[in-house]
Amino acid sequence: MVGILKKKRSPLVVFGTGLLLVMTASADNRVPWAEVTTALGATGELPSGRLGKRALFSLNDTGEALFEAQFTPLDGAGRPNATQAIIPTKSRRPREHALFRTSGPDATACVSCHNQPVVGGASDFVTNVFVSEGFNQADFDSIDPQFSNERGSNHLMGAGLIELLAREMSAELASIRSQALMDARDANTAVRRALTTKGVAFGYITVFADGLADLSEVDGVDPDLVVRPFSQKGVITSLRQFTINAMNHHHGMQAQERFGLAVTGSDDFDEDGYRNELTPADVSALVAWQATLEPPIQELPMDEAWVAAAQRGGQAIADYGCVECHRAALPLESLDFHDPGPLDLVGTLSVADVAEPAIYDLSLMYWSDTLPRNEDGHVMVPLFGDLKRHSMTDRKNNQLGNEQLSQRFVDRTRFMTAELWGVGSTSPYGHRNDYVSLIEVILAHGGDAKASRDAFAAVGKEAQLDVVAFLKTLKIEP
Amino acid sequence: MISPAQAWVTLSQIVVTIAFAIGVAATADTQNTTDTRGNAHSLVVPTLIEQGKASGIEHQYTGSWEFFVGGGGAAFDCNGDRLPDVFLAGGESPAALYKNTASTGGDLQFERVPLDLSDRESRSVTGAYALHLDNDRYIDLVVLRVGRNLLLKGDGDCGYSKANRRFAFDGGREWTTGFSAVWERESHFPTLAFGNYIDQSAPGSPWGTCHENVLLRASNSAKGVGRSSVDGDSSKPFEEPAYNNAIALAPGFCSLSVLFTDWNNSGEPALRITNDRQYYRGGEEQLWRIPAHEQPDLYDTSDGWKRLTIWGMGIAEADLNSDGYPEYALSSMGDNMLQQLDPEAEEDQPHYQDVAFDQGTTAHRPYEGDDSKPSTGWHTEFADFNNDARIDLFIAKGNVSSMPDFARVDPDNLLLQHPDGGFVEAGALAGINLPTKGRGALVADFNADGQLDLIVINREAPVSVFRNSGVAEHWGTRPLGNWLAIELQQPDQNRLAIGARVVVKTGNLSQTRTVSVGGGHSAGVSGFVHVGLGVAERASVRVRWPDGKWSHEYRVFANHHVVLQREVADAVYWYPDTVR
Repeated sequence: MVGILKKKRSPLVVFGTGLLLVMTASADNRVPWAEVTTALGATGELPSGRLGKRALFSLNDTGEALFEAQFTPLDGAGRPNATQAIIPTKSRRPREHALFRTSGPDATACVSCHNQPVVGGASDFVTNVFVSEGFNQADFDSIDPQFSNERGSNHLMGAGLIELLAREMSAELASIRSQALMDARDANTAVRRALTTKGVAFGYITVFADGLADLSEVDGVDPDLVVRPFSQKGVITSLRQFTINAMNHHHGMQAQERFGLAVTGSDDFDEDGYRNELTPADVSALVAWQATLEPPIQELPMDEAWVAAAQRGGQAIADYGCVECHRAALPLESLDFHDPGPLDLVGTLSVADVAEPAIYDLSLMYWSDTLPRNEDGHVMVPLFGDLKRHSMTDRKNNQLGNEQLSQRFVDRTRFMTAELWGVGSTSPYGHRNDYVSLIEVILAHGGDAKASRDAFAAVGKEAQLDVVAFLKTLKIEP
Repeated sequence: MISPAQAWVTLSQIVVTIAFAIGVAATADTQNTTDTRGNAHSLVVPTLIEQGKASGIEHQYTGSWEFFVGGGGAAFDCNGDRLPDVFLAGGESPAALYKNTASTGGDLQFERVPLDLSDRESRSVTGAYALHLDNDRYIDLVVLRVGRNLLLKGDGDCGYSKANRRFAFDGGREWTTGFSAVWERESHFPTLAFGNYIDQSAPGSPWGTCHENVLLRASNSAKGVGRSSVDGDSSKPFEEPAYNNAIALAPGFCSLSVLFTDWNNSGEPALRITNDRQYYRGGEEQLWRIPAHEQPDLYDTSDGWKRLTIWGMGIAEADLNSDGYPEYALSSMGDNMLQQLDPEAEEDQPHYQDVAFDQGTTAHRPYEGDDSKPSTGWHTEFADFNNDARIDLFIAKGNVSSMPDFARVDPDNLLLQHPDGGFVEAGALAGINLPTKGRGALVADFNADGQLDLIVINREAPVSVFRNSGVAEHWGTRPLGNWLAIELQQPDQNRLAIGARVVVKTGNLSQTRTVSVGGGHSAGVSGFVHVGLGVAERASVRVRWPDGKWSHEYRVFANHHVVLQREVADAVYWYPDTVR
């Protein structure tokens, strides 16, 4: 899939009723005021090897330009004959309109939603999107809760660190499984091992001498033990996968590595007259920019009373048990972000698909020196999360179980722990962005969070406000 | 991974053979090829690297006229490690059993293991199929011969002992070239069908002297307690089959392949037989109705059966359009057939139309070289070689011996299905275009990397052993599409769920596989059912078990081996041994 390294803006020749149409970037499209995105194709070849500061920053500039670009039909935006599905799927009929609020395309730019409080941030309820398996019935039905789930737009700040954490955790879980299998085969007996990585417990795996595995005790991660850190459900493996999914869903910009000739037999799968709308190099630019976004920070206000309350609130979330899931920080061994990464499967470029992946060294970023490190020199990523899925409902409190569909095999009551970093800048809250106050969303917790929620509910209003005071210090720097 | 040098050689071959057509431009990750209508298609082509002798297999199928046909074998797990081992027919040479010792994703490696057969018994073997005959945990073998066929009982460690007497199986004296098995409704043991070729002892042989075919239903032969190893519990009472009531399937028309198949989606198997018109008189292709516990009954024109006469060599089935009704690939000399139920025909009538030309599967001449004489097709098998979620078609090819009217150099076909639903030839691009005389073939993932490998049993030439190494790049190889390998398990009897139907759903796409024993050409594979998933990361799987009952939905993740145990809620994942 790495085959096309340069963006091809070659003419697509369409023969029909004797008329020859040439859909291409003509000379008119090269004038500064033309309605095209000049950043498309600007990356040229797929990045590889360790990028120096200049190369990385240049790639980031292109990625940022793509993230902010309002894609136009001349870029290939729109997908008249394809759905938003992650598996290339033809629509049953040509779409009547270029934009659809429900099944998409529902935005002209990434930044249309990811903008609060900065580019790459989150958004308000108004930009909620609809996720479903998204196949050919979606033009009509996606707002019906039996066909789709509604999601708020998450922020992407610090996303590179999040993905690196997930990669290291996945590798450790796979290593535990491999070692257990070897031990079981050597000893000709069943072996049960705890699946714990970076202090987060994902249950147990039991393997047998014949190579079979009992995964019934695995908790909070998929059976393949891949920690998928993105989306409220924790079902997206990488920024690369997220980018490809989102570009098709929201803009109708189809990535060659998912929708191109090798997969669909067509280089214009959506039949909008534009081939190879996003090259692997374009996707890499978007990934690099997202991966190097500055992580949120804790910003203490000038108000001393607020500082005092925040300190009490910080202690309180530990006392209530909130930090069992909202871990203050997780250790990260390496800041080398390989792109493509190790965990994606065919359909999203992975390290197995290229001669040499690019390495985006996050330590080159100005913000990396501000990250705390532990005694082993590992970066302590202050995410306030555990990258694990939990049950969020119980019989008495089903507020967060307000959906009818599981998503990619994840039960409708289970969600990835929301990382709290940046929560002070990204109201509203919850997977549907339908809780405007922090106290509301805390009280909506159930299931695995019931004890903590009950502890929070049991204290007085003032103590609850202490927690709010703390959470509001977790900011995205404007 | 292949070496860069090997990859470069492969790429160079590909570049030389690329066909170019306006409108489709191949990328470095695809290859261009054209279909029979001249339309260009760009496809991901698997790189099949011939490892032959280096794999440890040194074997040929040899012999005079009686061994111009046959030349099959079986791939199955003889020692419980879930890797497919290999039994190979040798014709006049001894048959051989090879244990699979490959590491995951590594080169294909086999070690020969002894067979507990007399020299005479090990010769004159034309083919073999593996299945559970007696419902213990260990898979058994049915060995086809010119002369007495053999039932070999497995011991779970690649040891096999002759069990003809134990299972009251006479074995016959015929020239057997085809076999299939099925568990009929409420049967404890498989019903066996043997396809026989020419009766050499009949006056006027070989012309018009075809043997009858044979159906064997097992009667339960109670053996008491303590002699069996059923489930490892020697205290369990057990029964063993007794195959002492042969039913003649007459007339026989010199069969070369037989296959139990649920052609009408009724849940009741029928027996499809392909016959060689070279020797029969007044014969045709056949379909037998096999009502459970009743006499077989041949479909004829009054049932809607459409007469077809071909040089029938091999049968493969696949439900190409997921409508519940299988299509059949029939190999022949010259045109190969792809049969589909005629949509205009009345319901429940086996009235087939040939769609091979429309679908691009005629494969009637060699696809390279100067020899434009007709091809000779043998083993046929549907399988997804490039994991693009579109099933492909392999056809082994090779002149019968020295038939002057047919192509002498006749490479095997790899017909890749393209997104429009038809097939295009990619044998040369994949690297299987050898000048051998192919007969039977074994399509299985021998190194457990999720990419289907290929063993072709050649006549009078070494067996070809092809490792599927993925997509060739200038720097090495990269993976094909995503995949799933599914093992079905039933307790007590029909453990491998022969006759089950597996439906794998990804997005809007449903793919169907049928678990069967039989067909091809004297060769077949038991074990994991392989399904290519394309770019899907997850799949929903449902199983129609052999008794017709549907399973619940199993939700599984791509690029894994999974075991679906009947009545067990979740799929069980299996991990191959990476260090061997």
